[in-house]
Amino acid sequence: MDEMENTMIGRGRDAIEMIVDAGSFEENKIGNAEVDAEYGPGAVVGTAKLEDQTVTVIANDAYAFNDRFPVVFGGVIGLEEAYKMATTVYRTMEADQDKPLAEKRPIVLIVDTPGNGPGKMEEIAGMNKATGSYQLALAEARKAGHPIVAMVIGRAISGAFLCHGLQADEILALSTDFGTMIHVMPITSISRITKMDIERLEELSKVNPVFAPGVNFFYNLGGVKEIVNKVEDMRSVIAKHVKEVQELKANGEIEKLGPWGRGLDGDARGGRVTRLKAMAKMNEEFAAVADKYINA
Amino acid sequence: MKSWNELEKSSFFDANARERAVGMCDKGTFTELLNPLDRFESPHLPVLGTAVEFDDGTVTGVGLVGKHPLFVVSMEGKFIGGAIGEVNGAKMVNTLRLALKAANDIKAAHPDEYDVRRPIVAISFETGGVRLHEANAGLLAHAEVMDAIQDCRRILPIVAVVGSKVGCFGGMGFVAAATDVIVMNEQGRIGLTGPEVIEQEMGKDEFDASNKALVYRTTGAKHKYIIQDCNYLVEDVIGDFHKTLAEIADIPMDKIEEMRRIGSLKLVQEQQDLVKLVGEMQPKDSMDLWKYYGNEDPAALPEMTTEEFLKVVKRRVRA
Repeated sequence: MDEMENTMIGRGRDAIEMIVDAGSFEENKIGNAEVDAEYGPGAVVGTAKLEDQTVTVIANDAYAFNDRFPVVFGGVIGLEEAYKMATTVYRTMEADQDKPLAEKRPIVLIVDTPGNGPGKMEEIAGMNKATGSYQLALAEARKAGHPIVAMVIGRAISGAFLCHGLQADEILALSTDFGTMIHVMPITSISRITKMDIERLEELSKVNPVFAPGVNFFYNLGGVKEIVNKVEDMRSVIAKHVKEVQELKANGEIEKLGPWGRGLDGDARGGRVTRLKAMAKMNEEFAAVADKYINA
Repeated sequence: MKSWNELEKSSFFDANARERAVGMCDKGTFTELLNPLDRFESPHLPVLGTAVEFDDGTVTGVGLVGKHPLFVVSMEGKFIGGAIGEVNGAKMVNTLRLALKAANDIKAAHPDEYDVRRPIVAISFETGGVRLHEANAGLLAHAEVMDAIQDCRRILPIVAVVGSKVGCFGGMGFVAAATDVIVMNEQGRIGLTGPEVIEQEMGKDEFDASNKALVYRTTGAKHKYIIQDCNYLVEDVIGDFHKTLAEIADIPMDKIEEMRRIGSLKLVQEQQDLVKLVGEMQPKDSMDLWKYYGNEDPAALPEMTTEEFLKVVKRRVRA
């Protein structure tokens, strides 16, 4: 397959249309709240229907520029974008605050972002707070019962993926045939920073899921729940996972979801097997001394 | 290792991760969990030819401040820059989970004394974020930490303690921002993008990473204190960090919630006001903001001792 022809990179807005019920997307509206259309142009937010169910949609716009913050282009999540995304999540919770758990509307994250705003102004204002706030909002919504499904259609890179994706209940990704990228850094940068030999790293990157870029490696580590092989399947697979998440939440099985659930998948798939052993040993050691601290 | 009494008078900045962990707790109360003798090292480093540490570069454990169990995570910058991988990430996540479980156990065992026995978590950050040697596992661990922080909200305070050589950057910059309370010494730095990367992205004219004073003005503790991203600016003495943690352990949870920077729509709106100001002002330097907040001679602030600075500084007024 020719990945340049089939890639969804840069096509966040197209992806929304491909995923939600035809013509149902209302940009900048969440419940009764309206989001300022001029604010954080690199983030696309709004409400749509997915198989007749009301959902909040949060995506990236790779063609938007932010005049106030020039580092924002190509899908970068800047200060305004991150706070816009966080606001969208809080407005979603507000819209359903009186509804029972089973009726909390899903949130669909469409992920195609190369990074967080890397500038001086960003650091002066505190970019870490902006993306941190979006992560906390998603974690709160997930725990409040909103099913959150992330669909990686293009680039899911490092800190930008941490805020826009890795707090979801479940993460789906288009297969590598579409040029989908999930990683912290390309091998060349890893080599430069760690001063490890690039040829050795490239050799290892073919088989080692733990450091090398790739959708399949993230799958091994539990970071991706399911790989989607056709763009036309995105809609039905997202809807299927929304339903699955709703059922797990209704049964109180939230530990199978979110970052903790991905840890369990990573253990089951053999990609991250030391993690749970380390935790079990710690728990055992604490239990032996707990009395001294609980009843101090 | 120095005795506890010596540690209390020692520099926090110069201390290693284990010294910081022991010194933040009351005398003789710290128990390390998953200590180096357990040999839980990274399973991913040997294949890359990188040496391991038996504690994977992070000290975890529990001590006391008064009757409050103090759960500690303390990162060692000398080991791969304090970066987070599978094992030390798991240690960090599990420390938060143990603190939450302890909170429930204390509520059950001492229902009338929760406030005086409530657990507290201190994370001594010294890290650039994800460990590139095991980048994917490290990234996933970051998400677990954020999730665990949200679980502890309004139940027990999580305190970011930042005052070591490497600072607190990358994904761990988010984590520090997401804690309830931030305590720093003058040398502490918190950010997302490290100075070298900003220089690479923007050019040396815009940001010179070798200009240490500029780097400190942008991400250092005095700037963080002025914009209200640092709750306590303390002297670089381990005993002062210990005393501050003991003080925080006694603050009621509703007051702790008010010390946060992010974590609600109201707080997002407050931060958006700051972003709006920065977007309009287009500051070339943090000092432009310091002046805006009422510091007539901003250039004098970096030169001051912590004590002098705290006497004269004007801070952003919170909404």
